[in-house]
Order: sequence, then C-alpha cells, then structure tokens
Amino acid sequence: MSNFRALQSSNRRKTFFLLFFMGVLVWFISYIAISAFGGSGAGVIPLAVLISLVSVWGSFYASDKLVLRMTRAHLIQESDNPKLFDLVQEVCIASGLPMPKVAIVDDPAPNAFATGRDPDHALIAFTTGLLSAMDRDELQGVVAHEMAHVANRDTLVSAVAATTAGVVALVSDILMRMLWFGGSRNRDHQGNQMPIFLAIIPLILAPIAATMLKAAVSRKRESLADATAVAFTRNPAGLRAALEVLARDNTVVAARSSAVAHLYIESPLDASAASKLFATHPPIEERIETLRKMEANPS
Amino acid sequence: MDAPLLIIIAVGLFVVFAIIQYNRLVRLNIQVDEAFAQIEVQLKRRADLIPNLVETVKGYASHEREALEKVVQARAASTTASTLPAVAAADGMLTNALRGLLAVAEAYPDLKASTNFLQLQEELSTTENKVSFSRQFYNDSVRTLNVAVKTIPTSFFVGLAKVGEREFYEVEDPTIRNAPNVKF
Repeated sequence: MSNFRALQSSNRRKTFFLLFFMGVLVWFISYIAISAFGGSGAGVIPLAVLISLVSVWGSFYASDKLVLRMTRAHLIQESDNPKLFDLVQEVCIASGLPMPKVAIVDDPAPNAFATGRDPDHALIAFTTGLLSAMDRDELQGVVAHEMAHVANRDTLVSAVAATTAGVVALVSDILMRMLWFGGSRNRDHQGNQMPIFLAIIPLILAPIAATMLKAAVSRKRESLADATAVAFTRNPAGLRAALEVLARDNTVVAARSSAVAHLYIESPLDASAASKLFATHPPIEERIETLRKMEANPS
Repeated sequence: MDAPLLIIIAVGLFVVFAIIQYNRLVRLNIQVDEAFAQIEVQLKRRADLIPNLVETVKGYASHEREALEKVVQARAASTTASTLPAVAAADGMLTNALRGLLAVAEAYPDLKASTNFLQLQEELSTTENKVSFSRQFYNDSVRTLNVAVKTIPTSFFVGLAKVGEREFYEVEDPTIRNAPNVKF
C-alpha cells in the first residue's frame, strides 16, 4: 500500500465514505427536526440548505479572486519569476493540466496554497518565505502538491463538505433556538411525536460531528494531494524534503484565518490548539513517513 | 408500462452507454496524439538551446571535440526524425550526448563559473525536466488507452471507434526513469 496509485485510490475511497456519512448526518438531523418539531421543523431544512448553498457557492465560484484578497496574495507574470514559472510549466506538462495563475504572498513563513473552481480557473500561490527556503527539487514537490489539489478538484470537494456541514450546523442552531423560545408549540396539534428533550443531545452533537467529518475530508484530500504529486513528479524525495523544511520552520503566515486554513500545504493554525480530530491537515510527520515509504517502494 | 415502451427505453439506454464508451476511446486516443505533440514541442525547445550551449562550451573547452561533435550530430538527427521510434531513438541519443558533454564540462571550473553557462544551467534543467515529464505523460496516456482497449466494456467498441493499442515511448537509457530531476 505504499505506491502512489494505491494511495490515490484509497484516499479517494475514504473521501467518498466521509462525504456519504455527511449526507447521512444531514438526513439524521432532518429526521430529528421533523419528528421532534413537526411542520415547523420540516420548514427549517430547505431554509438551511438554501442559506448554506448561497453562502458556500459564492465563495466557491469566485474562490480564485476571493482568496487572493483574503491572503493578500498578488498575481505575478512569467518575467517576475521565470524559475518558478519553469517549475509550474514542468508540472503542467507532467499532469496535462492547463497553466494556472501564479501568485506570491509577501510573508516570511514558508507556505503555499491552491484554489479555483476548476482547472481552468486555478490559482496557486507561494509565500516569499517558501521560495527562499527551498531548492529546486523541494519547490517542484510543493508545486506538484498544489497542482494535485487542482487536478483532484479539492476546491469543489471542500465546498461540498462545507455546504453539508453548514446545513447541519444551521438546522441544529435554528432548532435549538426554537426549543429555547418555545417553537415547539405545534406539538399540540400533532400527537405521537418524539419527546422534545430527546432531541437536545443529537442537536448538540450533530454540528460537532459535521465539523469533524469536514476536517477528516480535508485531511484525506491532503494525503491524496501528496500521492498525486508523486504521480506527477515520480520523485517522493522532493516533496518529502519540502515537508521537512516546513516541519522545521516554526513561523506561521500572518494573514491567517480558519476560513482559509484548509487551503495551505501546511496548516497555518497553531497545531497544539486544535485536537487531531479537528485538524485540517494530517500530522506533517505522518506525511513525511508516507513519502519515505514511497521512496523505498517505487511503483 | 407495456412491453414496447420498455424495449424503447432499453435500446435508448444502450445507445447512450455505447456513445459514452465510444467517446471515451476516441478521447483517450486524441490525448495520446496530444501527448506526443507535447514531446515534440519540448524536444524542439531543447534542440533550440543546443547551439548556444555548444558555443559556450567551445569557448572554454574547444579540444573536447568528441563530446561536442556527438551533441551536434545527435541534434541534427533529432530534427529529421518523425515516426515515434525514430523520435525516441534520436531523443535517447541526444539525451546521452548532452549528459556526456555536461560531464566533460565538470572538469572546467572557468566554464562552470561563466555567466553564460550559469544562465544556461536553469534553462537546461527545466528543459530536461519538461522533456522527461512529457515522455512520462505520453506513456501514462498510452497506458490508460491500452487498458481501455483491452478491458470490458470499452473493448467492445474498439472496432467501432477504430482505435487500437498504441506503442510506448521508450528511450534507450536504463537510467531515464530514475532521472526526472537532472542536476548539472
């Protein structure tokens, strides 16, 4: 199980199951809404779906432009950094993807990210710290990892995960408020309902579970991007060395927020603050270990 | 639902299924053509770099005639090749000749320190990477096509789509697979 093809299909399969569980969670929360709150509970669901879709879809569709602003990245041309463009072109040839937009973030902390709704609107960005800290092979590994996100359509996958998690969170939130403010009054009209107190615990737990599943999806996509990057370059050592540089470095990017944390190659958030279940990235040591196994065991 | 309607639905579904398989084969075949064109583009880029490289090396190591001559000859051969085996053979020759020349250059510190050579270095490493990535992408495309040609259900439509197995791009050099990242 240590060659990139096996890792790619295993991570794809796991993403599918995680998204499936998220779907089950939406169904579960809808069930609670209808059985404990009756008609008014049922009305909440389309409302939550609508709000969640609208809010996520906007940021998905314009992701390349929005993220540029949120991370203070600026687009560059080939003449600004011919060497970086060479590397990106190499990976484009290796992957068969179209040339993405390339951006730079003026930040001494080494990091990089990719976004864009489809490969034709892809944007990949690198911090100045990353460009100065890495040699050619390492940079190639990072470029390949970012282009792997583009190839695997991870902006779409995370938008789907965010929408489902959003629906669960909104439904639970609205129902909790209805509990507080006596929204269950139409209980009198419809007998044979689930006792309302039984709904409280699932309503508290469901959004937490949704957040954990969303984070698990993000982690699987990171592992998948590492495997896909190796499929492009056939050089696990380059990406492994790059991750070691990132692991050694303790600085974090300044323009950080949890809204864009999942985008970066290395989590920009303080690792110790979040428990492993809520982390958007697998532990970097684990990723290095997986790449080492690929080095020892080429396909 | 009555029987004729069911038959119409079944036939309709089969036609849709057939179209999908047919299109997949045709698409994969076109992708192989495109991937081969990409190899040729990158080989041309590399061929264009060589006169400059040869001039630079000559300036510092003019008596390394043999290595220089090999590169010039291999370049000439590569510009005339057109069929896949010929292109691959010429590509292999030039790759080896270039490697030989760069190994020779190692012995000349003045050459290695010259600005011209330093500028060529990044050009050469990216070109060599682009050439080998385009080979790799071509071979991956051929692999996908050949699997589709041989496996069910696409294999049923091979005759209809007039698509067959394609040959791999093999360069005569055992180290080529392990050397996507050439360091000079």
